[in-house]
Amino acid sequence: MNSVDFPASVIRLENGLTLIHQEIAATPVVVADVWVRAGAIAEPAEWAGMAHFLEHMIFKGTDQLPPGVFDYAIETQGGMTNAATSHDYAHFYIAIAADMLPQTLPYLADLLLHAAIPADEFGRERQVVLEEIRQAQDDPDWLGYQAMSELIYQDHPYGRPVLGTAEILQQRSPEEMRCFHQAHYQPDQMTVVITGGIPLEPTVELVKHAFRGFAPPPPCPPAASSRVPSLPGVRREVLHLPRLEQSRLTMAWLAPGIGQLETAYGLDLLAAILAEGRSSRLVRELREDRQLVQDVGAGFSLQRECSLFTIQAWLEGDDVDRVEAIVCDRLSELAAKPISEAELTRAQRLLCNDYAFSTEAPGQLAGLYGYYGTIAAADRCLSYVPILQSYTGDRLRSLADQYLTPLRYVSTILHPA
Amino acid sequence: MTASLLQAPRLHRTVLANGLTVLVLENPVADIVSARLFIRAGSTFEAPHQAGLVSFLMGLLTKGSDTLSSMAIAETVESVGASLGTDAAADYSVISLKTVSADFAEIFALAATVLRQPSFPPDEIDLERRLTLQQIRSMQEQPFTVAFNQLRRDMYGEHPYALPGIGTEATVSAITQQDLVDFHRQHMRPDNVVVTIVGRIAPEAALAQVEKTLGDWMAPATPLPALTLPPVTSAPTCSVVTQDTNQAIVMVGYPAASVKHPAYPALKLINTYLGNGLSSRLFVELREKRGLAYDVSAFYPTRLGLSQFVAYIGTAPENAATALEGLRFEVERLQTTVLSDEELQSAKNKLLGQYALGKQTNAQIAQLLGWYEILGLGVEYDQQFQDMVAAVTVLDAEAVAQEFFHTPYISLLGPEAAVAPLAAAQA
Repeated sequence: MNSVDFPASVIRLENGLTLIHQEIAATPVVVADVWVRAGAIAEPAEWAGMAHFLEHMIFKGTDQLPPGVFDYAIETQGGMTNAATSHDYAHFYIAIAADMLPQTLPYLADLLLHAAIPADEFGRERQVVLEEIRQAQDDPDWLGYQAMSELIYQDHPYGRPVLGTAEILQQRSPEEMRCFHQAHYQPDQMTVVITGGIPLEPTVELVKHAFRGFAPPPPCPPAASSRVPSLPGVRREVLHLPRLEQSRLTMAWLAPGIGQLETAYGLDLLAAILAEGRSSRLVRELREDRQLVQDVGAGFSLQRECSLFTIQAWLEGDDVDRVEAIVCDRLSELAAKPISEAELTRAQRLLCNDYAFSTEAPGQLAGLYGYYGTIAAADRCLSYVPILQSYTGDRLRSLADQYLTPLRYVSTILHPA
Repeated sequence: MTASLLQAPRLHRTVLANGLTVLVLENPVADIVSARLFIRAGSTFEAPHQAGLVSFLMGLLTKGSDTLSSMAIAETVESVGASLGTDAAADYSVISLKTVSADFAEIFALAATVLRQPSFPPDEIDLERRLTLQQIRSMQEQPFTVAFNQLRRDMYGEHPYALPGIGTEATVSAITQQDLVDFHRQHMRPDNVVVTIVGRIAPEAALAQVEKTLGDWMAPATPLPALTLPPVTSAPTCSVVTQDTNQAIVMVGYPAASVKHPAYPALKLINTYLGNGLSSRLFVELREKRGLAYDVSAFYPTRLGLSQFVAYIGTAPENAATALEGLRFEVERLQTTVLSDEELQSAKNKLLGQYALGKQTNAQIAQLLGWYEILGLGVEYDQQFQDMVAAVTVLDAEAVAQEFFHTPYISLLGPEAAVAPLAAAQA
């Protein structure tokens, strides 16, 4: 399967840190993207929201680096920095002119390794996170997604919002956060990805030098137990939300995690066959021909332990039941009838080209390697195109039969209040 | 950083006999070609009763041509895994495409066909209208959009910038096929079009492709449509939308310089200083030091006509008054406080660095080059803009703040108990 050589170097440093590097000649930009296996899934349930709040607090400096100095140093040299947290990871990103990396990467490393988490900053930044939660609660699509996640993942941490809740965050202390930080921001949990206009040798030296002196991990409450959920049948939930102008129907199925990549990529193909573009099955039937929906989409989101396949429609409230029934019907058909060669080829080309289009810039490439490096292994992303191309219509059909059954799914429906 | 990419001799600029401008930049790094077909006609050319016409028209281009149905167009594009999209902005409209190099000729030819010979089929018009009307209603779901639409209406009055490009329920309901045909005939002509092609393609091959598909397109003898815009009179107001949201949105807007006004580079710098990034003044003062917001920022769109300088914040309802005071204080303080040399230099580094970071993909470069050309600035503007920014002095910045940052228009959204008294206090 892996006939393509991985164009990046993957180096395990003595302290256990993973470095992934790819030089891209002729670009004056470098991206450094540090991925930490310390997302929301690492939290004890009563600490929900800690991983994301910590991502905010990382930027509040160290004993050497007062708050704001890092942001200022990066941005006044023409660079950009940002961070994001999900269930499986947190990651921290700099894009900057290549010759500025040696001056700025040590700052980022210092923040990640030695975040001070000062008590006064902790209190202030908690207000910011509470604003982030308030803002999310004014977004109906965020509310719908959370409701669906809870319904399908049940007690699994993937069902909890990454942001946590106001109640829980109010009870957390800087001491607890320092404990969570030191326990999880350890070299064996960290992948540093450097892509762009810098050769390998200076990169290794730079990273070795910057990412050293990790504090020993303290004891820390263990992550919430995460039994992979299963669905016994169909679960449905209807929510009424204020200010909604249109109903939403979200149907979701559980799918295997990173352990079964072939299955995962096959489900990507099925999503494209069902609802990627106007000539896909559901868009064509439900929006263009029968005009029952404003829009319809399908998506597969790959997660470490347990992935998610969703079909989502924006539509009039009166049409929800009918559309849900049609989707179930079309899924049964997908599992029963052969998929045509033309449809398969179309989906394969769409996804293979998407992959090419999304690895054009150093930042995109760093994100891809970091993501795979964190939830699996960096070079696994290379199997994407060969696996997609190896699929036959018949194998896809049996995949649909196994995973996208109308007998076991959840549906979350949003209606105007 | 990538400035050299855009300089001669690598950038090829050609004007065809029919007046169509072509810009080609070969970039062999990835097996990707991006192209844009810009038309010098945005929503500013709409009559008030036709608001949304250009956006509607652009959406329909890919929904049927003289020889192809909507589904045939979609199948052509999707079967090779390409992308073909359209967009309408205030000052221009554009068709965008992206392919792997081997598929470029086929998809570019399709883009040329839908630009030249759209058929506006009645059933597709009906479907597009239904979808558009719902989209207009759905804007009400997003508090930021509601607050911004209100600000824009207040600031621009009868000027076309007053409305979102998508139009209103009333105007979109009234658009006819004849309106579409007329607008297309009037504005979609070769001497009103700029094509940019960037990626793994030889300049000669790209040019030949444009000649083949668009070279025989004749411009009508009539002169190009001229743009006349109503004047905007400034009379700052404070408007309120009451909604039981979890957050209040507070927005202030100051009428601001067009892209061709000498103050443009200084205002872009001030926008960077105040609102761009984690080290920007608004972010540090209102979020980092006071914990008032998650989202606080400023934006200053590049416009051919009178632009607007907007600062906004989303905050807990009980903090709305403090937030409004804080936003105004930070913007208007620049009238009397001269930035330090270091602050100005930092803002320059940040603006120019991020400008360079915005030119990494073929699509970004194709967009930037064509945009400058279609706005009448020319591709040289890529360098000129950077030079003008570098030349701004602290006194320039102060003078510009004094010229533009007077009493702002204010838009408030949130629970009545929080925003109504605040609005009353502005009267």
